Amino acid sequence: MARMLRFKFSRDESLKYIAHLDVLRLFERATKRARLPVAYTQGFNPRQKLVFGLPMSIGLTSEAEYADIELEEELSLQDFISRMNEGLPRGIRVLEAVEQKNKGNIMNQITAARYEIHLKTPKAMSLYEMDTLIQSLLEREDISVMKKTKKGPRPVNIRPMIYTLSALKTDIDAFCLEAFLSAGAENNLRVDLLMEAFEQETGLKVSILRMHRKALYTSTYNEWKNPFEVANG
Amino acid sequence: MLSVEKPAKYTGNEWNMVRKDPGKVDVRFAFCFPDDYEIGMSHLGMKILYHVLNKREDTYCERAFAPWVDMEALLREKGLPLYTLETFTPLCEFDMVGFTLQYEMSYTNILNMLELGGIPVWSRDRTEGMPFVIAGGPCACNPEPLADFIDFFVIGEGEEVTLEIIDAYKQWKQAGEDRQQFLKRVSRIEGVYVPSLYQVFYYEDGTVMDVLPVSADVPDTVKRRIIKNLDAVDFPDAIIVPYVGTVHDRIMLELFRGCVRGCRFCQAGFIYRPVRERSHEKLFELAKASVEKTGYEEISLVSLSTSDYSGLPDLCNNLIEYTEKEKVSLAVPSLRVDNFSLGLMEKISKVRKSGLTFAPEAGTQRLRDVINKGITDEDLTSSIRLAVAGGWTSVKLYFMLGLPTETMEDVEGIDDMAINLIETCRTIPGESGKALRITLSTSCFVPKPFTPFQWEPMDSMENLMQKQYHLKDRIKKRTRKVEYNYHEAKLSLLEAVLARGDRRVGQVIHAAWKKGCKFDGWDEFFSFEKWMEAFQECGLSPEFYANRKRAYSEVLPWDHIDMGVSKEFLKKENLKAHEGDLTRNCAVGCSNCGAQVYGTGICIKAKQRGLGYGQDAEI
Repeated sequence: MARMLRFKFSRDESLKYIAHLDVLRLFERATKRARLPVAYTQGFNPRQKLVFGLPMSIGLTSEAEYADIELEEELSLQDFISRMNEGLPRGIRVLEAVEQKNKGNIMNQITAARYEIHLKTPKAMSLYEMDTLIQSLLEREDISVMKKTKKGPRPVNIRPMIYTLSALKTDIDAFCLEAFLSAGAENNLRVDLLMEAFEQETGLKVSILRMHRKALYTSTYNEWKNPFEVANG
Repeated sequence: MLSVEKPAKYTGNEWNMVRKDPGKVDVRFAFCFPDDYEIGMSHLGMKILYHVLNKREDTYCERAFAPWVDMEALLREKGLPLYTLETFTPLCEFDMVGFTLQYEMSYTNILNMLELGGIPVWSRDRTEGMPFVIAGGPCACNPEPLADFIDFFVIGEGEEVTLEIIDAYKQWKQAGEDRQQFLKRVSRIEGVYVPSLYQVFYYEDGTVMDVLPVSADVPDTVKRRIIKNLDAVDFPDAIIVPYVGTVHDRIMLELFRGCVRGCRFCQAGFIYRPVRERSHEKLFELAKASVEKTGYEEISLVSLSTSDYSGLPDLCNNLIEYTEKEKVSLAVPSLRVDNFSLGLMEKISKVRKSGLTFAPEAGTQRLRDVINKGITDEDLTSSIRLAVAGGWTSVKLYFMLGLPTETMEDVEGIDDMAINLIETCRTIPGESGKALRITLSTSCFVPKPFTPFQWEPMDSMENLMQKQYHLKDRIKKRTRKVEYNYHEAKLSLLEAVLARGDRRVGQVIHAAWKKGCKFDGWDEFFSFEKWMEAFQECGLSPEFYANRKRAYSEVLPWDHIDMGVSKEFLKKENLKAHEGDLTRNCAVGCSNCGAQVYGTGICIKAKQRGLGYGQDAEI
């Protein structure tokens, strides 16, 4: 039984084009349909106490999104999951939930994300060639890309935000890049920006078939942790 | 798909989207809204018919919208047809493709959607096995400009007649007949107009001589369909909840159809008669069911004039209690300002007091009497004083320029009124009186079919623009507390042509579309020049349709459509308008408009109160 919960959910291809704010609204409506006793903020414009770990950009699928929710009364974790899923459209599923024991806010806790990026190259390419391109990219100390900010576009060095980047060959002209990137409120590297940098630095024009988030992490003392672990202590 | 704006507009899968196996139904119906998804998904009529059609097991109704220009470019580049959101089926594979006609400026989008959907745009080019293209909605009351593109029109309310059409379609399929025979079958259904079964004859001066059925078994006039008892027809509660924010992204509760106030410029006030209400008990049930099935956080009451709903206090009391408990907000638009409504607003709006909107429509009492607006300067002043004293500091006022008989004195009455309001509110104790700001908007009056002004010329573009500049000038000189906006006169001129056009105007629509016109209602796409070129190529003049005074004796292009309100009544109203005489509203007493032939709604109630038809038509 819990009143403060942290839950993990997935999003598949069928709903990948929904923008972050629309996902938020989708969840708010889903909790109403599920008749969950969600707690609301006070004030003129009461909002559900529901916080998401990291925005999902348009086009991204995921198997590991996290959110914190506060209820007005205790529910069993299983009950929460099954009711939530009744209110959610197919395409978004709540997979797991734990009691949220610490006071931390998921949004401030997320620090890294792991992605799979499926892409197609313009012509056949060996894994060796792809590896060489990736190595040349990672060897730079400064990879400057224009990032859209509130004050307009400004150059950002994204190299420190790439922790690891490697490739698997999936077809004669297709690869799956595995990327471990800085994420969260402070230093967030979006996949589309990474791929822009990749194209800009290597000169290879690829078409992206699929962007998928595999995992989100929080960190304490340089140790990557699953957001559920943090919730427990 | 990542290259287009808001790709979720094109992928469907919304909550409450109806899923069926297309292989297991007899009739596949594509409901098309000829504008962007965000507009179309805000439309109540579509939600109603989607629900009514899908309730049938033998029918699958799906949705399609006009793709935004970026998506259209993508479809054309990839050679993909326009498809429905439910099953991604191209429009050309449906049995029936239905368009709703909400405003004239969406006509070119219909042609564009047909072409993108793989359907020939001209009805005559459609052959056996191709979909039947149908259309309905308010603009269908003058179907002629679209007559050559649409196989048949539905005149009036669709809940019942659409089902009769589906039945006829199944019978026709079983009988193994050809396309022409289906059109004959539906022409016998009341409310269905098959334009190809009518021939239009013209005089040399371009006016219509007659519109005649091509054979004796086709009715001379097509009578509009209405729903007699709103409580008895289905109203959707499990409505589709879009992911992308839409214009009206909320539950809409339709209180009643029609309007008691016969404002003479207002088409809706005449073509939906008589007023028929839903019971407040039924509405409250619908509200609860809708919240549970959609998860929406807002309910809005919908009607042409909310204050005229007889069950309003009961409904609001129940709804306020319920919505507070469920954390749902309640919107009550189109209220007349009085003590009741201000109290109501006080109770429901916990948010800050934003703008209030009033529509005096004309700047002088004389002109307001011409249009039968039925409000006086004193009404308006006391309403606004009440509102301002209640804390509202921002007021919007809507007016029309170019109303019949308008003079410069009437135009100047507009800014005089705004300034008088600012002055009189200054004396209100407290801060809000001095803080009052007024936003003043003018649109251009467009004469519409089935209104008492259907014979009136539209004011010339030059005059309208002169009036706009004059007002702008005067306001700038007199005050800084009034902001003035006006609508583009060019767009209104075109609206006027399409609203009262005859069958030949279809050629112009086609030519304009060929030149690239689409989304004409959107400023960024509207090209007046292209439209004018199209008129020239077709040898037609926009002034003939828009700016010509028509004689009462003239056969109007829509005379073979019977909307219930009689031409005789409209003529009488037109004469009264020129005399500045008022006509009482239906709640006060019957004025014998003709809608009593439907034998329902307020017509019966008035009779029960002992008010006979046609007695004392004057106030």
